[in-house]
Amino acid sequence: MTKIELETGGSVWKVLVQPGDRVEADDVLFILEVMKMEVPYEAPVAGEIAAVHIAEGEVVEEDQLAVEISG
Amino acid sequence: MNWKKETDEISRRRELALEQGGAESIAKHHGKGKLTIRERIDKLLDPGSFEEVGPTAGAGNYDENGELISLDPANFVLGFGKVDGRRIIVGGEDFTMRGGSPSPAGLRKSVYAEELAVQYKLPLVRLHEGSGGSVGGTGGKGQSLPGPVNAPARFRSVAEAMATVPVATAALGAVAGLPAGRLVASHFSVMSKATAQILTAGPAVVERAMGEKKTKEELGGWKVHTKNGTVDNGAEDEAACLAEIRRFLSYMPDNIEQLAPVVECDDPVERVDEALLDIVPKDRRQAFDMRRVIRSIMDENSFFEMGAGYGRSQITGLARLNGQVVGVWANNCKFLAGSMTTDGAQKARRFMELCETFSLPIVSLVDEPGFMIGSQAEREATIRHGTAAVLTAAMTTVPWASVMTRRSFGVAQAAHYGPEGFVLAWPSAESGPLPVEGGVAVAFQREIAAAPDPEARRKELEEELAARQSPFPRAEAFGVHDLIDPRQTRPELCRWVERIQPLLPALLGKANFSIRP
Repeated sequence: MTKIELETGGSVWKVLVQPGDRVEADDVLFILEVMKMEVPYEAPVAGEIAAVHIAEGEVVEEDQLAVEISG
Repeated sequence: MNWKKETDEISRRRELALEQGGAESIAKHHGKGKLTIRERIDKLLDPGSFEEVGPTAGAGNYDENGELISLDPANFVLGFGKVDGRRIIVGGEDFTMRGGSPSPAGLRKSVYAEELAVQYKLPLVRLHEGSGGSVGGTGGKGQSLPGPVNAPARFRSVAEAMATVPVATAALGAVAGLPAGRLVASHFSVMSKATAQILTAGPAVVERAMGEKKTKEELGGWKVHTKNGTVDNGAEDEAACLAEIRRFLSYMPDNIEQLAPVVECDDPVERVDEALLDIVPKDRRQAFDMRRVIRSIMDENSFFEMGAGYGRSQITGLARLNGQVVGVWANNCKFLAGSMTTDGAQKARRFMELCETFSLPIVSLVDEPGFMIGSQAEREATIRHGTAAVLTAAMTTVPWASVMTRRSFGVAQAAHYGPEGFVLAWPSAESGPLPVEGGVAVAFQREIAAAPDPEARRKELEEELAARQSPFPRAEAFGVHDLIDPRQTRPELCRWVERIQPLLPALLGKANFSIRP
């Protein structure tokens, strides 16, 4: 299981995957808005989305678990 | 009559010293997945290159006739050795004896490490696992620490080493007290994620004094110290730490009187990377991958990042351009928009000091939105630490090349341009006193509020002003040396490196300021 944790706090702008989706490495999973910048988070590995723990519009914090990918 | 008896005893003492803390103690140490100090030194150095200093120092135990029964070797192993054919000084505590807490001879040898490095003008590598003094003293035989008046100037040599030779240190087990202080007094430090903790004071002392119950790992494991900048890097295990130290040393000169070694470069200086044409998104709100930019411009696989875990809005590291070592400093817009935070500013300041100390030219890739703002940033004294970085840049004497990749705003941007630096701009460059988004809200506050649709008016104004930030007027006004196609960045910087070669020898010797922890 690969866990994607947030590097910074911010707000969730777009969530582009949902559980069950198949992703390739470098696919964008979701985009945070931090300091007026859109920060995309990409899949570090290929796999299936096992869980999504964030929702669009949500205010999130550093180190929060966002997405889990099973390989 | 000859000296055979004595020479035999010399050999015996040498053999006894190699027993370290004894077979049982070594087995226990191995059982915890750790190497002994002698194994660590062997792994770091070129095979067979270790020349030990003071191998028989220690405490001898004698029978009633004065004959040697056994020897407790000094629990700090020290010597000369070679890394990639270049001589260095290496030393570290022997944790199999007294848990690395210094014995009298161990302490003398440990303190001597810096003196030796300064005297021979050789890089110093410390491999730490040990603690500081014990209330029992170094041997339970009287006062172990002299008072401030008659104490040897122990930390003077530590500071002197920092200003004279490269110092690289690894934390390979629990490191506390004096060794922890020396660990951070380094140009590069790395800790083993598998085996190291760094503690100002360990769990027992903390619990007694603070009532706080924490494990060693919770107090000072890698998750704490790679994020707060206590160490530059974390590596998986001991072997990976030693590999990082070898890599760091490959970029460094032996001392401040030499230039960093220039290596043969297979990567063509004229290589252009098409990806740089669209790496900066046209949409100004979209972040881009600055590390990708760095890797693309520098010699292939030459970027060695230092401090990736802390001050994350800034990226610092060593790299090569046509074989010439350069310090690379860049903003990371994926982290807090790349703004100058307190820890980012401290990291950048220290990095510039490293480059100044060892006469390394600096390449700065600028995407600076300004000092971090907000209540947390105010509490952290961002303006003070940020200005320290700005003034450090202003005092450097090494050559700078700065490339405006995107934003360059506020007072903070001044930190990214050294005196008389070479300045290039990409077409995506925008600069001014503050970014359009913040600036419009302040400067046109009334006009926006009075508009029928304030939000639409604000956007309109932002777009209007953003359009005015075209890079062409900057080039027309000679505000930058040149406006370039991003794909040409590597060839441009390689030509710059060639032009500054004649300037580098004049930089050698003591810098006006050197690096502090």
